[in-house]
Amino acid sequence: MDWLFFFEVSLAGLGFGALYALTAVAFVVIYKATRVINLAMGEMLMLGAYMFFGFAAALALPIWAALILALVGGALLGLILERLVIRPMLGESPISVFMVTIGLSSVFIGLVEIIWTAAPRSLPSFLPSDPIFIGDAFVAPKTFWSFVIAAVVIAVFLVLFRFWRGGVALRATASDQGAAYGMGINVPMVYSLAWGVAGLLAAGAGVLLGSIAGISSEMGFFGLTVLVVVIVGGLDSVLGALLAGLLIGWVESLAGVYLGGEYEHLVTFMILMVVLLLRPWGLFGTREIERL
Amino acid sequence: MTMRNRTSELFLGVASGLLLGLMTAGSAIADDPEEAEVGVEADVEDAIVIGGSIPMTGVFAFAGLQFNDGFRDFVQWINEEHGGVQGRKFRYVGQDTGYDPDQSVGVFRRITSREDVHFYFGDSTAFSQTINSALNRQDILMTGASFASELNNPEEYPLQFLLGPDYSEQVGVLLEYIANEDPGARVAFVYSDTEFGRDPINASVERAEDLGLTVAETIVTPPGAADISSAALEHRRARPDYTIFHGYILSPIPDFIERSRQMGMETRFMGTYYTMDQGIIDEMGDAADGFMGVMPYRYYYDEEADDYPIMRTIREMNDEYRATTYIQAWLVGMLLKEIVNATLEAGDELTGTNMRRALDSLEDIDTGGVIGVPVTFRGNSIPVGRIYRADVEAGRMVPVSDWIDLTEE
Repeated sequence: MDWLFFFEVSLAGLGFGALYALTAVAFVVIYKATRVINLAMGEMLMLGAYMFFGFAAALALPIWAALILALVGGALLGLILERLVIRPMLGESPISVFMVTIGLSSVFIGLVEIIWTAAPRSLPSFLPSDPIFIGDAFVAPKTFWSFVIAAVVIAVFLVLFRFWRGGVALRATASDQGAAYGMGINVPMVYSLAWGVAGLLAAGAGVLLGSIAGISSEMGFFGLTVLVVVIVGGLDSVLGALLAGLLIGWVESLAGVYLGGEYEHLVTFMILMVVLLLRPWGLFGTREIERL
Repeated sequence: MTMRNRTSELFLGVASGLLLGLMTAGSAIADDPEEAEVGVEADVEDAIVIGGSIPMTGVFAFAGLQFNDGFRDFVQWINEEHGGVQGRKFRYVGQDTGYDPDQSVGVFRRITSREDVHFYFGDSTAFSQTINSALNRQDILMTGASFASELNNPEEYPLQFLLGPDYSEQVGVLLEYIANEDPGARVAFVYSDTEFGRDPINASVERAEDLGLTVAETIVTPPGAADISSAALEHRRARPDYTIFHGYILSPIPDFIERSRQMGMETRFMGTYYTMDQGIIDEMGDAADGFMGVMPYRYYYDEEADDYPIMRTIREMNDEYRATTYIQAWLVGMLLKEIVNATLEAGDELTGTNMRRALDSLEDIDTGGVIGVPVTFRGNSIPVGRIYRADVEAGRMVPVSDWIDLTEE
């Protein structure tokens, strides 16, 4: 067993797992606040990446400006979706809302193909490209820096979630909506906030993912693996999203090398199956989660 | 309406407008055609009709729109400059498929039911496989965008042919080049776990060994994989002299090359036809520098292009670079011109079977410079290609070999 190689493969997997974790947090925020399973998350991520592309490549704005505008666009997208599409569905059965988000993902793919065409493209590179070594182990700079950025964003999010008034309101609404109303929390505003924050996180993850793998109208496929991550971690657990993101990234990476690329997704979905059989509410989720 | 409602609606309106502005900033909203009719009218009795299931939208639209333009320009040129073939003029009818095999079949049925189609163009391997029995039944000759090795079988696919070397032959041309330049070199294959990706691998591993090359590794990536970190590490461990990608258009090739260079590898990277258009190479950015691959046709900007009549015509009709898929459509036209001519000279009707017989009788077909040597079909393919290397600074693909004909082995 070549342990250095194993370590390198593990680092690569954990690095990419951070992107799963970041997107999974966006997924969980929406679920916690509004009980909506948003299957359009991968496509929201894709729209964020395309907005960044529009500003950075087509309009040639500085990278920082393009990034801010893409994040603002992602947040706006979340806010608008909640207000126009999700809120009118309040009180409908979860399966109806679930189906609406599937519809949204198709609409977003169509939108991207209309505005930017379906041709595959590369994002302007903005992450440092000097090789990184941890001891003797090589880590691809894109993987390393996207891990660092994702970790910082998640840390900031967790601090806000814990101490900021909006974060507290979000947690209060998540644990007991009626009590939150009673305490004077503006619950509809919390819904909007959750979708806005999730849109922003998704756009950020989209830009990072696009800078690694390029962008195309099919990149929303990434959301499918993220769905596995949140189910494994527990739909309403931020901690579960973080750990499951890293776990799935790591396992996929090991499977890719030691079993072959054709087994990566197979292993991921086998983990999903085992978790669903043994702990359908996920490793860290709340037990009374409704099954669809 | 309360003040709060009004404020909320105002916010929503402003937010929507802002989002729309953000999304369309710096982008030209695509105005793609969904169908095309070019050439003589449908009621002209002896018209030679080309039908096409063309991916004008969807992931393959970058090629489909070029096919469409190529057919349009060829039909206009042959009708106006030559009065058709033996006085019979051409008509082209193409419809969008969105690169969906079901839609491609639907388009085929629609077009063949309302027109007397003599020749058809398909957009994918899946369509070529699905429509094969209908072609045989309706006696229509077809070619298309696919270079699948499976189609290179005249017994199974008697009324179809490929517009160059099949994927195994494309990799064969690359291997031939490597064996000549660097005998005994170590070669790795990196391919996607799709029908497209797997197509040439087994045959190419055998061919590489026959040519005295060492197969260092075959690395498969999951379809649509965003993360190729582990594959890149596996690739480093194999330490190949040459790495051949197949089953991708763009991603993850640039990321793979970048990572390999960051790890200090000096592997030379190569690709097959659909990765080799200048537009795709440009998207690779700096990673493309030195990237090599096989191309069955001349590029628009080829230094010798003006010495050959069809390449000259293409350049006269287009002031700016045209993709290789546009030139591919012209090749269809040139082959069809020869096939129709031979069929009519033999006194036969333009049925699929007769046209196939004519195709088999043709030797050393002159493609007007599109392919650098006179071509003869072997089975259903033309096993000829040339190796080009990307010169990123010049923004061009530069030939590094002569035309390699696998039948001369």
